[in-house]
Amino acid sequence: MTSYPKDLIRDLIDGRLPWQTTKQVMSDFKDDGRFETYLEILQERVPWKERILLPLGEHLYIVQKKRDRIVKCDCGHEFGPYTENWKLAASIYVRDNEEKLEEIYPGARKCDPNWMEIREYYCPGCMTQLETEAVTPGYPIVFDFVPDLEGFYRDWLKKPL
Amino acid sequence: MKATSAKKIRKIAPGRRGVGPGGLTLIEALKRNRQLFEQTGHYHGVKNLKLKADNYLRYESLHARLRSAVVNAREMSKKISASPGVREVGESVVALYTPEGDSVALSTGIMVHVHTLSRFIQWMIEHDYESDPGIAAGDVFANNDPFISDVHPPDLMNVAPIFYEGELIAWVGTVAHELEIGGVTGGANQSTTAERFGQGLTVSAEKVAVNDVIRRDFLVRAEMNLRTPIYYILDEKAMVAACIEVREKVIEIVAEHGVDYYKQAIRSIIEEGRRAHLERMRLLTVPGRYRAAAFCGHVFEGKVGSSGLSRNCIVHIPLDMTIDRDALMTIDYEGAGPKMWNPYNCPPAAMDGGFFVTLTQFIDFDGKVNDGCWFATKMILPPGSWANPMDNATSTSSAWASLMPGFGSLQRMISRSFYARGFREEVFLGQVNTPIMEGGGINQYGQRFGAQNLECAAEGSGARGIMDGIDCGYVGWNPESDMGNVEVWEMAIPILYLGRRIWRDSPGAGKYRGGATFSSLLLIHKTPVYNLVSTIHSDKVFDNQGMCGGYPGPTARFQYLSRNSNIRELIANRAPLPHIEGDPRSPDMQRMVQGEFETVDGVFLERPLRDGDLLQFFYNTGGGYGDPIERNPEATRVDLDKGIQSLELAARVYGVVAKFDPAAKLHSVDTEATRKAREQCRRDRAARAIPVKDWMAGQRSRLLNQDLGREVKEMYKDVFGFSERWSREFREFWKLPDDFTFKP
Repeated sequence: MTSYPKDLIRDLIDGRLPWQTTKQVMSDFKDDGRFETYLEILQERVPWKERILLPLGEHLYIVQKKRDRIVKCDCGHEFGPYTENWKLAASIYVRDNEEKLEEIYPGARKCDPNWMEIREYYCPGCMTQLETEAVTPGYPIVFDFVPDLEGFYRDWLKKPL
Repeated sequence: MKATSAKKIRKIAPGRRGVGPGGLTLIEALKRNRQLFEQTGHYHGVKNLKLKADNYLRYESLHARLRSAVVNAREMSKKISASPGVREVGESVVALYTPEGDSVALSTGIMVHVHTLSRFIQWMIEHDYESDPGIAAGDVFANNDPFISDVHPPDLMNVAPIFYEGELIAWVGTVAHELEIGGVTGGANQSTTAERFGQGLTVSAEKVAVNDVIRRDFLVRAEMNLRTPIYYILDEKAMVAACIEVREKVIEIVAEHGVDYYKQAIRSIIEEGRRAHLERMRLLTVPGRYRAAAFCGHVFEGKVGSSGLSRNCIVHIPLDMTIDRDALMTIDYEGAGPKMWNPYNCPPAAMDGGFFVTLTQFIDFDGKVNDGCWFATKMILPPGSWANPMDNATSTSSAWASLMPGFGSLQRMISRSFYARGFREEVFLGQVNTPIMEGGGINQYGQRFGAQNLECAAEGSGARGIMDGIDCGYVGWNPESDMGNVEVWEMAIPILYLGRRIWRDSPGAGKYRGGATFSSLLLIHKTPVYNLVSTIHSDKVFDNQGMCGGYPGPTARFQYLSRNSNIRELIANRAPLPHIEGDPRSPDMQRMVQGEFETVDGVFLERPLRDGDLLQFFYNTGGGYGDPIERNPEATRVDLDKGIQSLELAARVYGVVAKFDPAAKLHSVDTEATRKAREQCRRDRAARAIPVKDWMAGQRSRLLNQDLGREVKEMYKDVFGFSERWSREFREFWKLPDDFTFKP
């Protein structure tokens, strides 16, 4: 069964692994202990103590906080229960006119703001841009992912949650 | 959606001896195959992989040789084809099937068609082709009818039965993408057809070869109905050759191993593929519910030309994916709008193809890659929607324009799973739309022609989770991407390339950017008339998304055009010529050339081009990953040196302060100034952002006031009239009254 040293996984997720080794990892059988190693690395990095249950995206984690399971940014900002869309508790900036879009898409390559807007979701704690949405005006905020945590831990990982 | 119910299968006379396994008719064999899966949950009822356990080497050797047979046949057939599409770009695939039409082994290439071929075989079985027109050794059947099984008419498919001692033991299938299909405008993917009529020459499940010889009448039809029949005819010969090559190889392998062993082994290989898929799902993904939205826009209003289309539209492409505790992946397109009066609809076979090719790149990328994964997934396509029109008159000619954003969403959803499990090296925001130059007229040799320029087959990809996207080297429908040599396209189409270069600032921005894409600047050459029509780009909306804070790739919706230019004079005077876009606010083509310059938005339907005109065509690329101000400044410096990035956007989007040294022709980054610029960027965000809840209150009022653009309102109105579930969820999200709807 494939397995890799923790340092290699650390370099891999940081994009620092040399391409030849990265390619080898991509092409080889996947290491079934990856998730545990990954959690260890991430847990060592965050400045808070709550246990990470599942990484949700860059900077975002589902963590166990006492009896609650919440979404938390690595800066420490807490968004609320993971079963609710964290974006609803974020800060937002919308590029909805030519001028705002021009900053990112100069010339003819931008969308028509009558047809589409770009929503930028920031962490209220550290102002990191956590997610963007390119959607038609009026579109409901997209709830990207709500995991089945119980099923994942108990049925798939065979571990208590 | 995927399995045809038993009652749909045509009834056969009792007691009839068939050509299928053990004397069964193929209809009986297909029915039995489906029943075995339904009853046991295992493909063809194979509960244990005994052959593998008993003699691993023999079993694996058989699989490797079958796979080798289809790969070799494809490589050989590419040399028979004369089309730049097949020869240069590799627009073909070859696969081996069970008697019931399930794929056992497949080649590389346009793997999107592995499952469309499967549907074609099963369609013939269900319609009792065994009785009429009969299925015999040496027969070849062709199809490009989307509502029998295809994406769109340019994808011509051939299948041939493989008999051994009088029994049909397998099928071989192959597809070649045609560059000209005789539609209303020249080229392959028609972008102006409102119905199937006008999409081009359609072959609806016909027997086109007997005793390995292609019927003369089939070729005559091609000669009479296509602008450039040579591509089609030689592609057809290439496909028939591939079928014969695989057939002979399979017969040789069967003779060596014994037919009983072969028949058991192919079932085991598919069951192993099914199990491997489920194991990978458990290892790489997380159960739960994933959602995404994508869009594609089309501008027709005000266009002059051969199209009857007049309504602008935005295609709504929602996607809902669930992975349950048994690792079953279900994807659901509920909320897709009704079928459209334009060519951007998808027949079910196209959706099958998009799903299958995504699975082969994300979950089922090695080992036993075959229809096994198909038996471990489920797809829901709302009847009557653009994703399942239920009307064979519907146009699907440019189906890819809706398919790619839709399955780009699937790539992003699966990537979220990979991220959560720590397999960040597999996170990939791959595919986006592929703008294509289509057209026809009189070529540089004075002959009628029609051709598609398929150089779009190697544009930029979306970003990856640990590195940038692929520069000029990816397309969703053919993972083996190649843009073809410039000289080959110059032979096929009356054009000369003044430039085919990286399109600066094209990648979707992010900590890891999308792949850089390219644009081509073309001199229209020695033609009095070249009707150019573009397709499969998204007008006015981004057709892709970023992830984790990255931005989408650009729209690539436009072309620059300069008619009656003085380019010949510039060439004669050895004056500087335009090769790239230059400053997008003052493009080189406009600045350096005298002519009637315009930026054309949407499909090109105006007057024909002719010798001396200039055209610059832009290709798409995908979204970025992560917050752009977290990008390594050194990576941006390299992009600056390579011409992928401009200083202006490096500063504004990435917060990288750099300067150019004209003597060394290199850039350098001011690290301290960059750090300060990024801190300022965060302060700027804090100053301009508001809480989402506050923003939502304003948006709710806007909806109640119907304060949206016309096309957006029409999109919502269409979906509201079509999907009760989606419209209910929309009202619930915005807390709108139960009777809220969109007014015209």
